[in-house]
Amino acid sequence: MSTIVCAIIGYLVLLLTVRVLARRPGGQLTLFEFVIIFLIGGVAIAATVRQDHSMTNCGMGILAVAFMHRLVSGLKDRFPRFAAIVDGTPLVLLKNGEWQLEPMRQMRIDPEDVMAAARAKRVGSIFDVKYAILERNGSISIITHER
Amino acid sequence: MARQTPFTQPVTDSVAKVNREVAVGEDLGFQRSWWRFERGVWGFFVLVLLLDIAGAFGRGPLAHAEIRSPDKSLDIHYERIERSGTPSIMTIELGAQTVRDGAARVFVSQNVIDSLGTRRVIPAPSSTVIGRGGLTYTFPASTAPASVQLEFEPAGAGIVPFEISVPGVSTLRGKIVVMP
Repeated sequence: MSTIVCAIIGYLVLLLTVRVLARRPGGQLTLFEFVIIFLIGGVAIAATVRQDHSMTNCGMGILAVAFMHRLVSGLKDRFPRFAAIVDGTPLVLLKNGEWQLEPMRQMRIDPEDVMAAARAKRVGSIFDVKYAILERNGSISIITHER
Repeated sequence: MARQTPFTQPVTDSVAKVNREVAVGEDLGFQRSWWRFERGVWGFFVLVLLLDIAGAFGRGPLAHAEIRSPDKSLDIHYERIERSGTPSIMTIELGAQTVRDGAARVFVSQNVIDSLGTRRVIPAPSSTVIGRGGLTYTFPASTAPASVQLEFEPAGAGIVPFEISVPGVSTLRGKIVVMP
């Protein structure tokens, strides 16, 4: 019982903690996915190091986290606003040759981060970039000017 | 008959566009609200960390407590904030009037044993008597001052009132908050 409650509280605390950490460019996983990875590991460790070392206890912790993940997934699917709270929304960083300073400052993203994303798309000059968009998973999408 | 979900649905262009050409789904209004919330959350996190360093959640300066009887026959050092599943020590210092006939007797209320999870009594008492809603330990003693230690490991969270006394000499009461 206490393991399930701790797992649910831990899930919510970790979700909030990871969510308020700014998205970093180059991320491959969404913050939402980080939660499940960290928390299942954390619960497994907690179940191992606490007094109840049983597989039952460990299994209940994992099931509780899996249930929370499924629940949050369902809520994200049903309520777009909830999805925005959990994952954030995409943000335009560069638009028609102008840096969008507010999102860049808030998300702690430098022009160099955008340029790195452009290079990854084989774009050699920042002047070729029409739009740079910070996606929900932390990656930066690059859209070039049409030639 | 149960309603079936359609297998297909026509594509619609519902994602908000930037400059009417790139479907991004940006919501700056929401993001600004979120950034304000984020600053509040970080402020809260910093506060929680500072409180923890100070001992507001146990194991720090704010958690240490001492209660003493007016005649100084009984002095108890303990943690007013404990953590569930974490060991701690309560030290009971016995003054001059507490040692009689080569023995010192200390009464502890039952919730010290049950709720605070007393693991060990140091030194081991020569006898333990149950009754009066607790246990009375008898320790062989020469002369005061002397001290007895109780090792706790609470199993669950809550507020635990306790009573410790030297029968016929003095009684002290307190409360311990056990954090989850």
